[in-house]
Amino acid sequence: MKRLLVLLLIVILALGVTALPLAAQDAPQGTWLGTWPYAAPGTHNLSSFASGGLDTNLGTVYRPIVELTPAYYLWASNEYVSMLASSWGFVDDNAAYEYTIQEGALWSDGAPITSKDVVDTFAIGRILGWTIWNSLEGVEAVDEMTTRFIFKEGVASLSAERLILKQSVSASANYGDLAAQAAELAAAGKTKDDAEWQALSTAIGEYHPETLIASGPYTYTLDDVGEAFMTLHWQPNSLYSGSVRFGDLKLWSGETEVTTPLVLSGELAHSTNVYPPATIEAFAAEGIRLVTTPRGYGPAVLFNYQVEAFNDVNLRKAMAHAINRDQSALLTNGLGAMGTVYFSGILDSLTPQLLSEEAIAGLDRYEYDLAKAEEYMAAAGYTRNADGKWADAEGNLLSFEYTFPADFADFSAMARDATAQLNDFGFDITERALPWQEAAQAIREGNYELSVWSWGAGAPFAFNSMNSPIRRWNNPVLPAEQPGMSLPLQFEWNGQQIDLNDLILNVSAGLDPAELTAKADFVAEIINDTLFFIPLNEMLSVEPVNEQSIGGAPADGDPIYANPSSDHFIIYLILNGTLFPAGS
Amino acid sequence: MTALSASSPPAAQPAPTLRERLRRLRRSYLFKVVIQGVITILAVMTLTFFMIRQMPGNPFQVRIDDLMTRQAMTYEDAYRAAASIFNFDPDRPVILQFSDYIGDLLQGDLGMSITKTGTPVAELILRYLPWTLFSIGLSVLISFTLGTTLGLAIGYWRGSWLDNVVTTLASVISGIPDYIIALLIILIFGVQLEWFKIGQVRGGVDPTITPALSLEYIGSILQYAFMPMLIYTLSSIGAWILAMKSSTISTLGEDYITVAQARGLPQRRILSAYVGRNAMLPLITRLAISIGFIMGGSVIIEEMFQYPGLGRNLYLAITGRDYTVMQGIFLVITVAVVASNILADVAIAWLDPRVRLDKGGEA
Repeated sequence: MKRLLVLLLIVILALGVTALPLAAQDAPQGTWLGTWPYAAPGTHNLSSFASGGLDTNLGTVYRPIVELTPAYYLWASNEYVSMLASSWGFVDDNAAYEYTIQEGALWSDGAPITSKDVVDTFAIGRILGWTIWNSLEGVEAVDEMTTRFIFKEGVASLSAERLILKQSVSASANYGDLAAQAAELAAAGKTKDDAEWQALSTAIGEYHPETLIASGPYTYTLDDVGEAFMTLHWQPNSLYSGSVRFGDLKLWSGETEVTTPLVLSGELAHSTNVYPPATIEAFAAEGIRLVTTPRGYGPAVLFNYQVEAFNDVNLRKAMAHAINRDQSALLTNGLGAMGTVYFSGILDSLTPQLLSEEAIAGLDRYEYDLAKAEEYMAAAGYTRNADGKWADAEGNLLSFEYTFPADFADFSAMARDATAQLNDFGFDITERALPWQEAAQAIREGNYELSVWSWGAGAPFAFNSMNSPIRRWNNPVLPAEQPGMSLPLQFEWNGQQIDLNDLILNVSAGLDPAELTAKADFVAEIINDTLFFIPLNEMLSVEPVNEQSIGGAPADGDPIYANPSSDHFIIYLILNGTLFPAGS
Repeated sequence: MTALSASSPPAAQPAPTLRERLRRLRRSYLFKVVIQGVITILAVMTLTFFMIRQMPGNPFQVRIDDLMTRQAMTYEDAYRAAASIFNFDPDRPVILQFSDYIGDLLQGDLGMSITKTGTPVAELILRYLPWTLFSIGLSVLISFTLGTTLGLAIGYWRGSWLDNVVTTLASVISGIPDYIIALLIILIFGVQLEWFKIGQVRGGVDPTITPALSLEYIGSILQYAFMPMLIYTLSSIGAWILAMKSSTISTLGEDYITVAQARGLPQRRILSAYVGRNAMLPLITRLAISIGFIMGGSVIIEEMFQYPGLGRNLYLAITGRDYTVMQGIFLVITVAVVASNILADVAIAWLDPRVRLDKGGEA
């Protein structure tokens, strides 16, 4: 009996000792204080696919923390690192792509994450018209954990890889029935024009699951969504439940003007909002650390080519030389913008990675040089009149209207400064502020002379950068009834017949690095020389990181800060446990 | 027939025929204002429907722009993707959209939100309306009561130190926009002096408290409503004070006030029964309009404090171009303004029989 008691005591002690570390792994302490403009209660839903669902409510920054993506891209080193997948890559001589889910990956309800979840996710995406389906023939499960994405012939590309690896996987437990219907329609040869296809699309949009089944270490219910903030709670079943160090993620609702006082009072520790320069200074004065990352776009001067004068490249080049881009950047967004350097059509942060050194050396950087601007004006046939204004041979001034979105503080500041600098140089430009929707409509309809919109994109490929604004605001990307910039994309350049639409469309197609660089070099040279738009600056995200609340943020200059908002650094740093509650 | 003749002994009159009753109804003052109100609602509803569709960028186009910019989609791809998301066909002729709207409305259906698929507009309005009614409604009553009382006092004792102080304060505060008052309070008392946690005055109620008829829950509602109510009251009280002062001074010049004073009536009685009551009359219409606009909430204040009112939802609907939600909220505001104006007309007619007689109708 005594032996039995001793044995029992040993067993109890042993269980206690093993249970202690487990208890320590349970629900980490501390709260992340972030912000996201999620949909308010009543309009908020937990769907991975519907409007007002996770895409709205968690966005590109927080959704991958709740619904993991297969991999995460590090911009500084041009490589993917594992999130949900253990391996990934092109197979079958680049005819397909495969990734394998990590062993032991579980949903928050305890069910294993399998290739069926991936296949179902993409089946629904096919009905919804996801861009990746322009490149795919089909998606199929190879085995329990591996999924194969079969490309249409010859379209395998790094862009397609990114679309696959950045797509959060959703649980078949919630969407299996809809996915089965989607697969049936595809198997029956139905297309987007069929009524059944459209009906299913509507059904997907209206389906709001009651619970969110998460693969990431945080999840929430509709009860966690308040008017002022929502709270994501730690859950134990994720691959990353053991590494994250926050028990809750509290996300304040609202945009810049609403979150500013919260940052100042220390109740909001990190924010992705765009704050005006004066607010940034106030944050710094309060001792709040500011981390700078690329935004992946910037404002550009857009010409309307129905205005005859803008068809002369000399005039466009004169304008580029007449604008001080450092001043433009400072006025656009203070520390949150940089004057464009390369004029390659590719973001400056990506140009050294995507272009050869020779090509970069050959780019005209259009330095601020009024004398050179004068030369180009003379070459374009303009002379100064008695008032010092530029005029053509008939004495007509260069009178234009510059429309800009009044509600985008950065873009409107850029447009107003460009107007002022060009008028100082001798132009006669009038500002016209419009609500942003109207400014966009004016560009689409070709109802403007000069305007401002973004150039570049938050994806690490030449295509995405070069696409906007040249293709984005022109036919054939716009429908025929919307002339946009009215820029003819087929033209002769240096004795060659150029189809710029085709060149940009294919600039990132293929997988051979040397071939990709050569193609990017060629298109960059054309864009640099023709100067169809003037990329004045590149925006930076200046984000408060309050170290009274958050510990572990890497020092300035860390490679992770090369990631733009589309692959936000907090995704990586929260999941791998680098960030932790200060003082813990 | 007038209100005066209606007071004749009924026994002397034969029972009115149905035709007679209809004729009386048609000629009655109430009937006229109600018919005018209904016509106004229909006109505003129709105008609103077409005007919001003239705004640049429909919800569909906003989404298309977003997809083309963020995902480098072609217009056709973005169009298809947007079409799969929204319950909205931008190509449907506007006149047919209008007939759908009216048809649904006649069945009591305000439609579904365009941008938040699967969300009925009526449900959205019913969810947020009580918060706005509570916070803004109470604020209107407080600012009206305090404002008219102070206005009456400084009008009666005009030239006194109280008059100088209150008039100056009221002039200053009525000239400051509500959002500036809100920002100043947040930055001075929240950020600088740290008298309150800014996060604890955002939202409608503490989400960690279970909704119940408990002191804790009610206390939380009052705590979260305090700041929007304070700011709304501060931003509107100045106008009430100044209007009431002006009306009081004008009333004080009337003969019946001089007579009342000559009769040696107590000052309190003169102030309340003679001056206050008559000075209040011109403010009733204004109060009615304010009550009507309660329904629309206070857009900026609700957005700043993330208060769950209709105003904040209207703001979100406008920025997202959610036509059906905008239509629903504008309809509620219109009905409220028209109804409160009718009530004001009736109340004025009841308080001042000359109004009824001047219009040749019956109350």
